[in-house]
Amino acid sequence: MHPPSGSRSLVPSLWSLVLIGPLVLWLVAFVIAPALILVAYSFAERDELGRVIFTFTLENFRRVFDPVYLGIFGRSIGYAGLTTAICVVLGYPVAWCIARSSEKWRTRLLLLVMIPFWTSFLIRTYAWITILKAEGLLNGLLQYANVIAAPLELLYTPGAVIVGLVYAYLPFMILPIYSSAEKVDPAIIEAAYDLGCGPWRAFARIMVPLTLPGLAAGVLMVFVPAIGMFAISDLMGGARVPMIGNVMQDQFVGQARDKPFGAALGVVFMGLFVVTYWILQRRAARLEEARA
Amino acid sequence: MNLRSVRMLRPSLAAALVATASLVSAPLMRAAESLNLFAWSEYVPQAVIDGFTKETGIKVNYDTYGSGEEMLSKLLAGGAAYDLVQPPDYIAEAMIRNKLLRPLDAAKLPGLSNIAPEFLRLPHDPQQKFTVPYMTGTVGIVVNTEKVKEPVRGYRDLFQPKYKNRIVVVNDNREIVSWALVTLGLDQNNITRDTLARARPLVAEWIKLVKVFDSDSPKTPLLNGDVDLGVVWSGEAAKLIDENKKFKYVLPSEGYHPFVDVLAIPTTAKNVTAAHRFLDYVLRPEVSKLISDEFPYTNPNAAARKLLSPEQLANPASYPRIGKLNTFRDIGKAATDIDRLVTDLKSAAAK
Amino acid sequence: MRPESSAGVPPEAQEKPGVPPAVRPAVEIRGVTKRFGGVVAVDEVSLSIRAGEFLTLLGPSGCGKTTLLRLIAGFEEPDAGTVILGGEEVTHVPPYRRNVNQVFQSYALFPHLSVRDNIAFGLRMQRRPAAEIAARVAEAVALVSLEGCETRMPHQLSGGQRQRVGLARALAPRPAVLLLDEPLSALDARLRQAMQLELKRLQRRLGTTFVFVTHDQEEALTMSDRIALLSRGRIEQLGEVHEIYHRPATAFAAEFMGQANVLEAELLDRAGGVVLVRVAGGLTLQLSHASWPAGRPDARVSIRPEKIHVSKRPITGENVFEARVEEEVFKGATDRLLLATGAGTRLIALAANESALIDAVHVGDRVWCAVHADDVVVIPG
Repeated sequence: MHPPSGSRSLVPSLWSLVLIGPLVLWLVAFVIAPALILVAYSFAERDELGRVIFTFTLENFRRVFDPVYLGIFGRSIGYAGLTTAICVVLGYPVAWCIARSSEKWRTRLLLLVMIPFWTSFLIRTYAWITILKAEGLLNGLLQYANVIAAPLELLYTPGAVIVGLVYAYLPFMILPIYSSAEKVDPAIIEAAYDLGCGPWRAFARIMVPLTLPGLAAGVLMVFVPAIGMFAISDLMGGARVPMIGNVMQDQFVGQARDKPFGAALGVVFMGLFVVTYWILQRRAARLEEARA
Repeated sequence: MNLRSVRMLRPSLAAALVATASLVSAPLMRAAESLNLFAWSEYVPQAVIDGFTKETGIKVNYDTYGSGEEMLSKLLAGGAAYDLVQPPDYIAEAMIRNKLLRPLDAAKLPGLSNIAPEFLRLPHDPQQKFTVPYMTGTVGIVVNTEKVKEPVRGYRDLFQPKYKNRIVVVNDNREIVSWALVTLGLDQNNITRDTLARARPLVAEWIKLVKVFDSDSPKTPLLNGDVDLGVVWSGEAAKLIDENKKFKYVLPSEGYHPFVDVLAIPTTAKNVTAAHRFLDYVLRPEVSKLISDEFPYTNPNAAARKLLSPEQLANPASYPRIGKLNTFRDIGKAATDIDRLVTDLKSAAAK
Repeated sequence: MRPESSAGVPPEAQEKPGVPPAVRPAVEIRGVTKRFGGVVAVDEVSLSIRAGEFLTLLGPSGCGKTTLLRLIAGFEEPDAGTVILGGEEVTHVPPYRRNVNQVFQSYALFPHLSVRDNIAFGLRMQRRPAAEIAARVAEAVALVSLEGCETRMPHQLSGGQRQRVGLARALAPRPAVLLLDEPLSALDARLRQAMQLELKRLQRRLGTTFVFVTHDQEEALTMSDRIALLSRGRIEQLGEVHEIYHRPATAFAAEFMGQANVLEAELLDRAGGVVLVRVAGGLTLQLSHASWPAGRPDARVSIRPEKIHVSKRPITGENVFEARVEEEVFKGATDRLLLATGAGTRLIALAANESALIDAVHVGDRVWCAVHADDVVVIPG
């Protein structure tokens, strides 16, 4: 393991440019440029029709910190946090079991985790509506079994939103944890048992630290998009509880017609993402280094 | 999706997916002359488009949107050049004022005479120079009479604590605020700090009672039995009544407003001739009837109405008794204030 | 040769009531069977491991030696039979409640913990006081000569160092029995030989019972007090290293423990103190009277290649015969020769590699051979 020699790493060859070029183009076109446009919009104003007029104003950011929107930000983070926590609790054992099962079963179980992606997200959400509605499958089943007399209020509640969010994002928790867990040598867990470490302590002291990079990636991949999700709170929550995603959507294609304000919300949201990412990345990097 | 917008009957997602698929394949077929139509999703029957192409040989590329605001936003962003757009009245008004629409050539539109006079020269297009009415409707109250025995005549009857969590309303902030304004005896189009402040307590109270806000398919929770009352687009109500006579449609006694969706040609249109041909085609009674068959809103085409069945005309949601047409007007930047107000109140109600 | 170490004596017979704890076996396995699916990995094995001995489970891959070790560690539960550790039955006791520790083939160090924390892990699990942990970690570090590496992370260590950490980690809690699962197989040959001797010295010094798994018979011979030779889930032979080598109980044992000429032998005559046999190919050999099974007309015999004395000049002694060198393989210190006797018997012999002057042997040479009667070993199995 020699460090790369100075001359090779500093002067990129033509070939490496050719290889890296498409990636750079992709990043510029789909990541950097949209982000810059968003930032530019966030300092602009709008005209009567909703067209963006490029001036410089901090008004949009002042409005982001209006208690109304700040409260919605807070609530979105709360929902996303709860969703993430549930996804960890449900997803971790599943991921671990898949990683520890035989090769044949691993492929099958992973397929099961990914099958929902074959269907449109909206159709899957409508399926949940069919299950949870007052005259739906679940209420019907519970009534048939005489567990309940009258239908329970399941749909259009905060609980339904959480169910929808967990359902939508659970695979994004399972897959990265799985890929981390799969790399853990089973002998390491046996070594912990062998040294007098019971299953719970082995989980806390060995499994969790060793799968932390996957766990961090899973948390990131669930928490961040869950903050901005709007379709689920509309469809399964009856749009009763506004999420920051709903507010943003309304600014761009909705009635509010205020792209600069929507952009300011987006910029703050991106900032939030960068901070979350940075915190998690720092921890994961330290661990990855330790495992290399 | 807080838009008056996605009101179109959009129950079937499969159809939307098919529409998307046809969008993908559409450019491949643009060999002959073509017309770029930008309209609501599920508002123009396939039979109408096929019939037009068969007769004229002009291919129709049907791009869709879910709200008038979305349409405006995409049109202003440029990109595709559309030959025909389908805005609601108040968006059309803003577009006319900002010179985004091209004056129509009346000589090419003999069918315009089929439109009932009460749907012409409305405030959004006083000279009827820019727009052709496509479909119209109202926003009114739907009641499941099996579950609700007491009469519901207007907003005050509907928004009562005993109906808490039994109500669906369209997820449209301006609509909700307008109901409060007319209930207070104020002008629905006069949006100021003052009128909003006066409407606020009523809107706050109402929002707490609502279980579902849905513009896409407000009939779904009513059909599913999740709610028993609603304030919905008349086309949705008409479908509910077709489904089951237990549903009743009521125009609120405090006041209500009709909406008129129009067809118009943007100034950026490339194929103005084809656009005119499509407009006149849609104005034909037998073509207009096809639209009514699929989307039971109020058809402004008097000649087409004569072709409808007695059942269609008897549907109280499609053809309610209405007086003066007091439509929404463009309110410009005041939309932002409405948005903040309703967002705030929804947020407070959720706590 | 102690009587209880000979193969075939059931371990039950060794335990007498009232045996003082000092001589109580460290590990006792009674009639243990373990299947994986339809495959029997361990087949009714009984084995008694003495406190303080270095016992090696030796055998080819798939013989069940690792499974047997895992049954002792508690990673597997037997389908039948019992496992007893220090007089206490632990058949269904989980690994974290057994007073045994293991050194893993892959070392299985905790990658997120430093050398010190790896070694302290078992002590922390026992909730020992911090001062005691520090003292015993230091002791374990010194034991494996890893001073100065305490704060390093496992990925910063060489293979040999990792191996030592694994050893120190397993020894620090002072287990009654240390299990070692092919711990040296990943090391290069030189380091491996050094570690073999070091492990052996360590075991002597600590007096801890070591159960060592390997497939390498040389390694087993170098390190062990006793060897349990396994084949297809069964113990083929259990005994002290010399016995295992010189008195193979089966043909498998003879052939697995280094090279052997295993030949069918037919009894010609037994008179006086001598038994005369004719082996396959026709060569007549004499062997010691006591070893031939009574009343048997034939048996198999084993002759270690290095026991055949080869000379270019005529020699005297027991079992002298002439042969022709058919093949010669240079092995450094020795020459491996394939010999064919006049009668047609083929034998492999290892001859000291003489310098290429007078006594060097080449293909085609005629040579005289001699085998001591005691070195013609009858295989009872």
